[in-house]
Amino acid sequence: MKKTKNHPLEQNRLFLAGFLVCFTCILCCRTGPIESQPPPDRHQPHNYVGQKGMVVAAHPLAAKAGLAMLKRGGNAIDAAIATAFALNAAEPFASGIGGGGFMVIYIAKEKKVATINFRERAPAKAQSEMFIQNGEANETWRRTHGLAVAVPGALAGWDLALRRYGTKSLKDTMQSGIRIAEDGFTVSKTFSKISKDEYEKLLLMAGDSCCYLNDGFPLEPGDLFRNPQLADTFRLIASSGIQEFYRGSLAEKIVNAVKEHGGIISHEDLASYEAKELCPLRGTYKGFTIYSHGLPAAGGLHIIQLLNILENWPAIRWEHNSPAYIHHMSEAFRFIFAGREPYLGDPDFVDIPLHDLISKTYARKISSKIDPKRSRKTYPYGDFDERDNEKENTTHLCVLDGEGNVVSLTQTINYFFGSGIIPDNTGFLLNNEMDDFARVATSPNAPGPHKKPLSSQGPLIIFKEDRPYLILGSPGGTRIFTSLFQIIVNIIEFGMNLDEAIEAPRFFSYSSRGKAGEISLEARIPGSVIASLEALGHSVDVREDYDTYFGGAQGIMILWDKGLIHGGADSRRDGYGIGY
Amino acid sequence: MKTVVSVSFISLVLMAIPVLFSENIGAPPAKFEQPILITSAGQSAEVQLASVLSKRAGLDAVLVKAASPRDLKNTKTLVLVLGASLKGLGAAGIDAADEKARVKGLVEAAQNLDIAILCLHLGGEARRGQLTDQMIEEFLPYGQMAIVVKSGNGDGLFTSICAQHNIPLIEVDRTIDAIAPFKNVFN
Repeated sequence: MKKTKNHPLEQNRLFLAGFLVCFTCILCCRTGPIESQPPPDRHQPHNYVGQKGMVVAAHPLAAKAGLAMLKRGGNAIDAAIATAFALNAAEPFASGIGGGGFMVIYIAKEKKVATINFRERAPAKAQSEMFIQNGEANETWRRTHGLAVAVPGALAGWDLALRRYGTKSLKDTMQSGIRIAEDGFTVSKTFSKISKDEYEKLLLMAGDSCCYLNDGFPLEPGDLFRNPQLADTFRLIASSGIQEFYRGSLAEKIVNAVKEHGGIISHEDLASYEAKELCPLRGTYKGFTIYSHGLPAAGGLHIIQLLNILENWPAIRWEHNSPAYIHHMSEAFRFIFAGREPYLGDPDFVDIPLHDLISKTYARKISSKIDPKRSRKTYPYGDFDERDNEKENTTHLCVLDGEGNVVSLTQTINYFFGSGIIPDNTGFLLNNEMDDFARVATSPNAPGPHKKPLSSQGPLIIFKEDRPYLILGSPGGTRIFTSLFQIIVNIIEFGMNLDEAIEAPRFFSYSSRGKAGEISLEARIPGSVIASLEALGHSVDVREDYDTYFGGAQGIMILWDKGLIHGGADSRRDGYGIGY
Repeated sequence: MKTVVSVSFISLVLMAIPVLFSENIGAPPAKFEQPILITSAGQSAEVQLASVLSKRAGLDAVLVKAASPRDLKNTKTLVLVLGASLKGLGAAGIDAADEKARVKGLVEAAQNLDIAILCLHLGGEARRGQLTDQMIEEFLPYGQMAIVVKSGNGDGLFTSICAQHNIPLIEVDRTIDAIAPFKNVFN
């Protein structure tokens, strides 16, 4: 039988059909990264999309480092540590091996939530009045001085997480960080602005020839930034282990650098540092369960307290960022700050009435004290010092792997560029975490030997019906918990998707010594709302449209019903996500 | 004829000198002399950068971040570094209204003493924002010359104010590039 030749149009149709089938198969079977570039306007809400997993971090290279680790067979914990090392290279001003932090981990197979405390610790010689000079706190000693440096915990924490829950070695997780430090990358506007903001500190503490300046000037957008000294430090740790940092040549350099600047960290302080695995802090809001790190990370506690308070009010009826919502929550923030200083500190050293503070009864008492029609004139007395609102530091990363394991990790060197002290030729910055201790010597958060200072960090994993639903965290000093609270409410109450919730305008308030602080808010909140708040008795401070003051949140949302994963990365900084 | 051509040529070359190192608009520059007082309008960290630039340029300058009219004694040029930072204001223990009042008092005192005012904006695009823009709009008109990092003038705010007030404007690509025009202004 003679074979009939297809009409050319028919051939085209067959080809097109074949192509579509192949394309669909590729889409369905793909395991490669789903890299969706954010829109040219960085502030336009944009959810990164994944089907199996996701990495979100404060720098694109760090997110890519995490994804590369997942693609090499690592789990979420391996990827989180790879991301953390990469952040030290790509976002060195916010975190690194000279700092510390907190991690919340979910192991899917065991349905277990664990936390790791790798917060920096005060040296053995620390005393409650170590920063008091002539009856007043010496701010220089607290921030840009050897005394400001606490014993770093990052490497110990990352190492502990890998040994307990990872599948890769510390050396494996460092490779992307080494490459980024060695090859360099283009400096962003964010990096440049922060370098300019902290220029004076870098000149004073690290000198004009330091690796974070370019011929004595701050890095400019578009500059290539390389840090070969940091790459060498990472290589040394890769070959010798973290002991090199806590007991070896790096320990020697840290002690010397701190001493040169008047500090008191000893070899013994470094050698005795240990990260700890602890039980998570747990709270509930309507049908959701919130897991975070316990004290001295106060962020999770405060978020649970705020959600408990909100349960007493009709948030949904108020509408997002309405005068009623901002008024009630600003009043609630002020009560939280009032209750923070009298009770909170390092639980290894002070008794904390945690069950009372986290109870729904306590929240009801606070909510009943808030007048819907007027700002209060006084609040319970607390020693919170408004100078602690100046920080905009820290970083957060989230990872979800294909097995459903999760890491939510917040870490810091405290202020941007930390203390500004760089141990000799090491390329990493030492923290100024001692500034997180209270200025009042009788405070439960006063400095003391081996104490860990109170933090506002609050890495979270929120569960819905026993499955991880929202993984979230943020930098931003004392705005960490108020910003995270707002993001959670934006999603749960106001129906926003993840990145809409992250990009939405934010507000903040506090109380200090019984008096209300002003409400700081982003300028996108309409003038009519500001006028209503002023009419309620609030003083309002209008900041930029997208202000780094309010943090730089990163999050992952798992849409179980759609088989999709969303990643949200804050445009207030250089957040970025990649799914696969 | 030969003399006329030579004079014209030399004049053209002299007129072109400011253009050679930068984009420049506005009136001929005022006379800038040393010693210099460097201060901030907005308490951004760039005031420290201006101080380092002056050192690299070999200029006789002192830095007083929150200078008052008293600091103008023996000063022949006031360098005003335009850039606001809430963090910087907080560290100085003042708010934006205090800062504006201080700077206004200072520039008016400088005018009364016939002290030239040179405005610098070194923070670029990242420093621009509502508060910085308020400082620029309020105090740039007092300047007799402005040197700005180009990315900070992306929307033409400096160009527009300088054109309106006949202020020569020099744009540089990067902070470090400001050394040469900064030095030349005083030569």
